[in-house]
Amino acid sequence: MATAIRGIELSKSFQHFQVLQSVSIEIASGECYALFGPNGAGKTTLLRIFATLHRPSAGRFEILGFDGNRERAKIRAAIFLIGHGSYLYDDLSVKENIQFAIGIRGWNPTDLEIKKALDQVGIGRFAKLRSRYLSAGMKKRLSIAKALLVRPKLLIMDEAYAALDELGVAMVNEYIRNFTKEGGTVLMSSHDRAKTAEVAHRVGVLNRSVLNEMSVEEMSAADAIF
Amino acid sequence: MQFFSVIRWIAWKDLLSEYRNRENISSMFFFAINVILIFSFSFSLDPETIKEIMPGIIWVAFGFTAIIGLGKSFLVEVNNDCMEYFQMLPIPKGAIYLGKFLGNFLFMLSVEIVLFPLFVLFFNLDILDQFLKLLLISTVATIGLSALGTLFSALTVQIRAREVMFPILLLPLSVPIFIGAVEATRGILSGDAFALYRHWIELLVVFDVIFVVVSFWIFEFILDY
Amino acid sequence: MLSTRFIGWLRRYEKWFGIAAVILIAIGLYTGLVTSSADYYQGEVVRIMYVHVPFAQTAMFAYSTLFICSIWYLWKRDPIVDNAAHAAAGIALFFTAGGLLTGSIWGKPTWNTWWTWDPRLTSFAILFLTLVGYLMLRSFLDDKEKRATFAAILAIIGFIDLPIVHFSVEWWRSLHQPLSISTRGVSIAADMAIPFTLMSIGIALLFTYMLMVRTQMLYLEYLLEAKQGRLMSEEHL
Repeated sequence: MATAIRGIELSKSFQHFQVLQSVSIEIASGECYALFGPNGAGKTTLLRIFATLHRPSAGRFEILGFDGNRERAKIRAAIFLIGHGSYLYDDLSVKENIQFAIGIRGWNPTDLEIKKALDQVGIGRFAKLRSRYLSAGMKKRLSIAKALLVRPKLLIMDEAYAALDELGVAMVNEYIRNFTKEGGTVLMSSHDRAKTAEVAHRVGVLNRSVLNEMSVEEMSAADAIF
Repeated sequence: MQFFSVIRWIAWKDLLSEYRNRENISSMFFFAINVILIFSFSFSLDPETIKEIMPGIIWVAFGFTAIIGLGKSFLVEVNNDCMEYFQMLPIPKGAIYLGKFLGNFLFMLSVEIVLFPLFVLFFNLDILDQFLKLLLISTVATIGLSALGTLFSALTVQIRAREVMFPILLLPLSVPIFIGAVEATRGILSGDAFALYRHWIELLVVFDVIFVVVSFWIFEFILDY
Repeated sequence: MLSTRFIGWLRRYEKWFGIAAVILIAIGLYTGLVTSSADYYQGEVVRIMYVHVPFAQTAMFAYSTLFICSIWYLWKRDPIVDNAAHAAAGIALFFTAGGLLTGSIWGKPTWNTWWTWDPRLTSFAILFLTLVGYLMLRSFLDDKEKRATFAAILAIIGFIDLPIVHFSVEWWRSLHQPLSISTRGVSIAADMAIPFTLMSIGIALLFTYMLMVRTQMLYLEYLLEAKQGRLMSEEHL
């Protein structure tokens, strides 16, 4: 199986404060890899490095075979990040925000495709609402609708279940299951072991720049993983 | 082509947002009106003096408009981390600059067009027959101001002293725009032959071309430092 | 990437530049202030030119250095190059301020005015403001890569703009005032040429010395921050 993500001895420091030190990781295509770890361990930083938002201070990485330093445009065409930022414009409606977010990536979804995606994530009836009025959970669902339309090869989800209600979590898990079945790769971080166990293929626990990998069963059975 | 559609999308987004909340244009407009009123009070209204200082007043008013309006052009992108979304796009980042530049240029030009009748009103200017020429000058000078202003907005928008830093950076470097615009405006208002002030317009055009191109090329580094 | 060997090289050779600068400036000042003749028209005041002109030239030289380092940084992202750029900017500010001040002192007795919107003075004032803006921008940005990149962008834009500023003011001045006032007014007699040359080279060497020292200082600050960060991180990791 091809490798979707290969990180080799990645280090990152901000203001000379070292968040990651020599972290290596390998994720295969079609896999859902769940990253756990205490707050401040550097999970978000690692995910953002792979999303090409940060350059590593040391080390290198490859995504879908493209070099993380020299082929960033090709990486960006194939990935999608659902992170902490909502990437929304307050004065635009939900539908207009989607039209902008996808249109600026190079193709224009039809009204029907947008409606389908919004319905699939459960906010179809809010299509005309100005996004300044959306709750955090609704914004998260909107981000997933964008991912549905973009259809990336690699999906990166930082705190996948944050802000979502139970139905929302079930919706995300179903999306991940379908996504990996169709050959896509998912790298996610989470704090909820039970919900993650339903979809993850492999688990990694990042603590003090040590990545401790384990199976999903081990993660579920253990009292505490860090 | 995707490059041009990016520019269109960004300009569309900015224009639509502005149409909905009108925050930017109204603050630019009312600030400029304030400047015009203050000048109107402060100077005695004899026609000779007016003709002398009018070009300066016009461009001071437009300059303040630029400082108020252009400085926060990227603020809306920073608010919900939209700059990050731009960073992750597989497109040449200069297209984003051009999209913002286009929106800014249209805002500034529309405010200037609305202000011209006010100049006629408060200063008894007779400019109706020269309106097209004044519009030409405004367009060319505003392109330059928008080019620099959009770039400096991106540089200063995340700094805590943004409102101070933006004019500090913009004003010295836009001196050629103001000189060219004032001199060309003076030529038009004095009824001079076009040949007498055309080199000012040429200067502005050269400035515009240089700075749109350089800013377009250099914007990549702002998003991917 | 420039390595710490470059810093070591700076440290080893800085004193030669410093010594050469001191010698040339000393001889230049002596010949300029004491042994050369006063100008026929301007009198003793012309002697300020021995300081003013080299200062102005060196300010331009310093800004060019800042420009080159900025482009180099955007290309290679080398932190030592960023330190050099930062150093060059501060020193350029010093020489620009010095040039403006000495020019003003010369201007009062010669033109009977402390200031005029002559193309060169205006360009210099704009250069001064641009450098102040550069240093202020740096002080407000905490993220080191962002700071280096944004500062480099500002320096490049300013450098490209400066000739346009000069050009536009020259046109403007030729419209509104005949060039009765000219900074080119000093005719170079033979015994003036020697102090001029000595001071020009001497002050350029002084700039180089200052740049070498200041770059090392900024590099040490950079290392210190790194060390502090590592100490903090050791608790974290």
